[in-house]
Amino acid sequence: MVPGDTNLLEALKAVGIETPHVCYHPYLPVSGNCRQCLVEQEGPRGRMLVIACYTPVAPGMKIYTPASSARVKNARKATQEFMLVNHPLDCPICDKAGECTLQENYMEAGQNESRMRPEYGKNYHGNPAHQFIDAKGQLRGGKHVDLGPRVLLDEERCVQCDRCVRFMRSIAGSEQLQLAGRADHTYITTFPGEKLDHEYDLCVTDVCPVGAMTAKYFRFQKRVWLLSHTPTISMDDSLGANIWLDHADGRIYRVMPRCNPVVNRSWLSNTSRLAFQQFDKNRLPAMDVHKPTFGSGKIALVAGGTCTIEDLAALRVLKESLGDRAEIFGGSLLKVGQPDGIAKSGDPVANRAGMKLLGFADVSEFMKRASEFETLVTVNANLFGEDPAAAKALEKINTRIALSPFDDETVKAATIAIGVRHWSEVQGTMVNSLNILQKLNACPVCPDEILWAPYEVVSHMAGAKFETAADAFKKAGEFAPVLSGLTYDAIKSTGKLLEGGEA
Amino acid sequence: MRVIRQRPMNWVERLYIFECLRGLFTTIKHAARGLFRYETLPTISYPEGQPEIRNTYRAKHRLMLRPDGTPRCVACGMCAAACPAHCIFIEATQSDDPRIEKRVMRFDIDHLTCVFCGLCVEACPVDALRMDTKKISFMHRNREDFVAHLDDLVEWDPKDYPDDEQSQVAPGGTKNAEARKVWGMEVK
Repeated sequence: MVPGDTNLLEALKAVGIETPHVCYHPYLPVSGNCRQCLVEQEGPRGRMLVIACYTPVAPGMKIYTPASSARVKNARKATQEFMLVNHPLDCPICDKAGECTLQENYMEAGQNESRMRPEYGKNYHGNPAHQFIDAKGQLRGGKHVDLGPRVLLDEERCVQCDRCVRFMRSIAGSEQLQLAGRADHTYITTFPGEKLDHEYDLCVTDVCPVGAMTAKYFRFQKRVWLLSHTPTISMDDSLGANIWLDHADGRIYRVMPRCNPVVNRSWLSNTSRLAFQQFDKNRLPAMDVHKPTFGSGKIALVAGGTCTIEDLAALRVLKESLGDRAEIFGGSLLKVGQPDGIAKSGDPVANRAGMKLLGFADVSEFMKRASEFETLVTVNANLFGEDPAAAKALEKINTRIALSPFDDETVKAATIAIGVRHWSEVQGTMVNSLNILQKLNACPVCPDEILWAPYEVVSHMAGAKFETAADAFKKAGEFAPVLSGLTYDAIKSTGKLLEGGEA
Repeated sequence: MRVIRQRPMNWVERLYIFECLRGLFTTIKHAARGLFRYETLPTISYPEGQPEIRNTYRAKHRLMLRPDGTPRCVACGMCAAACPAHCIFIEATQSDDPRIEKRVMRFDIDHLTCVFCGLCVEACPVDALRMDTKKISFMHRNREDFVAHLDDLVEWDPKDYPDDEQSQVAPGGTKNAEARKVWGMEVK
């Protein structure tokens, strides 16, 4: 019923009992300082209150939850009341409102009448350097402390759960945040003269249960309950981090990591997270797609790193229709980096495994033999932008057709350019570096509704246009046996491990 | 259930001519009242005569002001969330005042869509939005002008609200100087 080596909080969750918690996070070391997840355990000295997050499950345990014990209910309520003693009531202007753990816990475990004396009010006792007295004569402070280039801290709202400290210490591996002071005077701070600056520093805004850590790029942009969420995959790295695209009024407002225990857990790098700011800039408009006539010479079809399996299948179909004179290549001219062990594999070609499955040669081979070809078709591949020096040789190729969402260098150098949809706006699949097939969903933020997805344009060129992404995926199954028999419904939100196991 | 049975008409009524004259008399009576005792009529001759509107009447919106003249609105979006007609559009930005976090940058109310239910006023956590301007007529040349913007909503005179203490705190009000002293308190 319950997976073995786990703690009580997770075990209760597995059997359907949610326990309110503030400091506990499934992918961070347990700290146990918020005391919100109290349950009663039958022990040798009678029933005792223990914290669920730090109690390992054992066979024969007897646990009392608020449903069966008034003591647990009261204890949680009291903990909640203490936590809210000096927590400001600025939910209306707090960016976390709507997805705040304190709000959720209050509705579940708190709901107490305020016992604060109005003449005393709420006071801020943290960093003395940031204290001030407001117009009502109350001691307040630390409203917007600049922690670093991307993160702002509100010390008043902080509940000292130290999730951000633990994240920087054990996940990011760079201990840039610390708790200073003791008891009521505790506050989060960086080392003197230093700033919070790390590739993963925006993750502290995700792990923060309250609105203390806020991302500068999303601050005051939108109330969170107005956002719609599209689950998709970040296509700028071959690990394929699972993400939510949070959008409203036809634009993306923020990107949040989507929990996938084997791929990126709950983390997302700043590069992947902030990439969305460029998605709607410098775009190519929609245009009439006509069937080009390829000359008699050899044709190179080059797929870029952000091509989905569907795009690759369409390219394969185009290759088959052109015969032996066409060759397919995939990849990018960018250097492959090292995996950082958190949410990046370092390989900029997101769908490299998918290219291997569908029989695409590496683009480096194409660069070696570039002079053989008379026609070049690039799909989402910005060869001229990635390595301008090497791409100089490509200018000798007579016909250069570029399919790209952006008006990039390759499009500028092309003889024919066709605008297509960006990967955030198409449905598709990709295979990540762990050999997991993951599903992309279309976010309704396309600047031009009549834009075609890359696989539609390519298959139209081949003469047999795919009407839906599912058709293209079905076709991909004919080229790659591991994909045959699969449907979109068979791919779970956390992906599907393909046959052959982890790469 | 109570059943009222109609009384059968007597012969004078059944003659019809006398009842007809009686009805005519009522008409002539009211016509004469309109000519000679006009002020006792229950109707008003709008627009020359204006109706008397109470404080509680839900008229055009206004935004309350702080002692320094900035709108009290903190751009929380509660009014927009409460609005059943979805006619409030708010954009927020960082405030220049270090004590205030969020400031409203755009506050539009589309009065063509507004149903004047007053839920936005009740939703406001800082009592920034009110509907007590008593302005009930909306006359504009084109549709765009019916959208009230921020500069339009903060344009009101404290003298029009002599009994309201909160309005007197705004610049130009009787309590402004006093409130300013508290508001401009030294930041420690």
